[in-house]
Amino acid sequence: MIDVRHVTRRFDGVTALEDASFEVRSGEIVALLGPNGAGKTTASRIIGGILAPSEGDVLVDAVSVRQDPNTVRARCGFVTDQPSLYERMPLSAYLEFFARLYDVSAPGARAVELARLLGLDDVLGKRLGAFSRGMRQKVAIARALVHDPPVLLLDEPATALDPEMAQTLRSFIVSLRARHRAILLTTHDLDEAQRIADRVVVLYKGRVIRIGATSEIRAVGKPSYTVTFAGEPAAAHAALARIGVASDPAPSEDGLGALRFATDDPRKTNSEALRALLDAGLRVVTVTAAERSLEDAYLAILAEARQ
Amino acid sequence: MKWWLIAWREIRWEVFLDRASLLRTAVFIVIPIFFVFSNRGIPGGGAGDATLIALALQSVFFPSLAGVSLIAATFTAEKENGTLVPLLAAPIRDFDIVLGKLLGMVVPVMVACAVTLAAAYALAGVRYGAERVARVLTPELLYALLVLSLLYVVTTGSITMIVAARVRSSRAAQQLAGLVIAVSAAVFAGLGFVAIQVADGWALVAVGVILVFFDVGALEVARRVWQRGEVIGRI
Repeated sequence: MIDVRHVTRRFDGVTALEDASFEVRSGEIVALLGPNGAGKTTASRIIGGILAPSEGDVLVDAVSVRQDPNTVRARCGFVTDQPSLYERMPLSAYLEFFARLYDVSAPGARAVELARLLGLDDVLGKRLGAFSRGMRQKVAIARALVHDPPVLLLDEPATALDPEMAQTLRSFIVSLRARHRAILLTTHDLDEAQRIADRVVVLYKGRVIRIGATSEIRAVGKPSYTVTFAGEPAAAHAALARIGVASDPAPSEDGLGALRFATDDPRKTNSEALRALLDAGLRVVTVTAAERSLEDAYLAILAEARQ
Repeated sequence: MKWWLIAWREIRWEVFLDRASLLRTAVFIVIPIFFVFSNRGIPGGGAGDATLIALALQSVFFPSLAGVSLIAATFTAEKENGTLVPLLAAPIRDFDIVLGKLLGMVVPVMVACAVTLAAAYALAGVRYGAERVARVLTPELLYALLVLSLLYVVTTGSITMIVAARVRSSRAAQQLAGLVIAVSAAVFAGLGFVAIQVADGWALVAVGVILVFFDVGALEVARRVWQRGEVIGRI
């Protein structure tokens, strides 16, 4: 549905995006991750037909953004981090205005339908300037959906939303995936990305440095393990150091000591570590694999890129 | 016709609901009417006729100034508030956005110009004699004044849009636009006044033709600087 092909974008000699290529398929949520200035917003603006690429091309629903940007815009719904609403307009007039810009056949009915879908039907006549932050973000989403686009570009949609509202928004995005929308989610919220993204694209200094399924990305780097024991943590640390295993203190309960270590070869290292701890007179209680978050993996990928 | 959608939205929801801009426009309508009202007396002959023409000319130019300051405010506010981004993401041509925004300002300003000119004409008729006013301010001249003010508003509106597209803050835009407006108002008012007085109105036609050419050029430049890539890079 979205096919980004070797896209480069320069602003006054500064390269914001360099030879970026990735895809978002129908019925898929792809999270676009990266630090500030990595080129995420530039990428989503190019895909949405707002910015022209300096080199390369993007196909949205098989339409080239270079050749027919207006058709691409008609097939994309764009949600920005700031709702950016016309504050003097009431909700109904606002949605109708955008419905007309997108050539929706029955703009009034569509405005009512969307307001109902997002739980805003009781404030249709109210001015947008009086809306809360969460309501404003809902309006921005309604605006993006006004023409029922096959592609959604969500740029930090949950910024400044309270946890309950963010959860509601996540559920709504997931429901759109079920309706075969292609969704590109630009976000700094790695927890959100981990929960709903099928795949992840990591950008760093304008380049795509990693693409993969969320589960694959989470598997990046060494697996780590936490061992809990009864005894002195310093003695346990020394025992692991003697066999060449670096360890760090880990949170523990019930008065037990706990250390975390990472290894490329858990079959060999874990049994050696267990033996070293037992030989040092420590009573091992548990050895568990530490679950890695997308955040851990993302930070590891960035650290690797910086090196 | 998407330019009309944008223009109508500006008129309906921004101009009419913005108390500050309404107040500013009202002041620019009242000032020229006050000048007509407060003029102590007009001598007979050519000097008096010139004064009547000057009063009619200022009746259309003052409301025009209000319009130009209006467009400087609305454009930069859109950039600062980010409301331009959803508009740029919509399937509309760059020129539709430029034309829509410009018309959103020009239409209410021209209404204000027409109202002010009509009020000034009526008041001048009461104060200086309806027959004399009708002889000096012919329908052709009044029509020419309205066309001239339309051309002036389009010119300065285009220049203001160009300025608004290139700068980031509304304060900088207002200051630059103010400078442009002050200089252009002096030039156009002077040219218009002189042109009305000489060569049976042909000089006025010449000024109009020059303005038309200038407008076409300014609109073309505005269209170029309002290309999505240019504008979005400065938001």
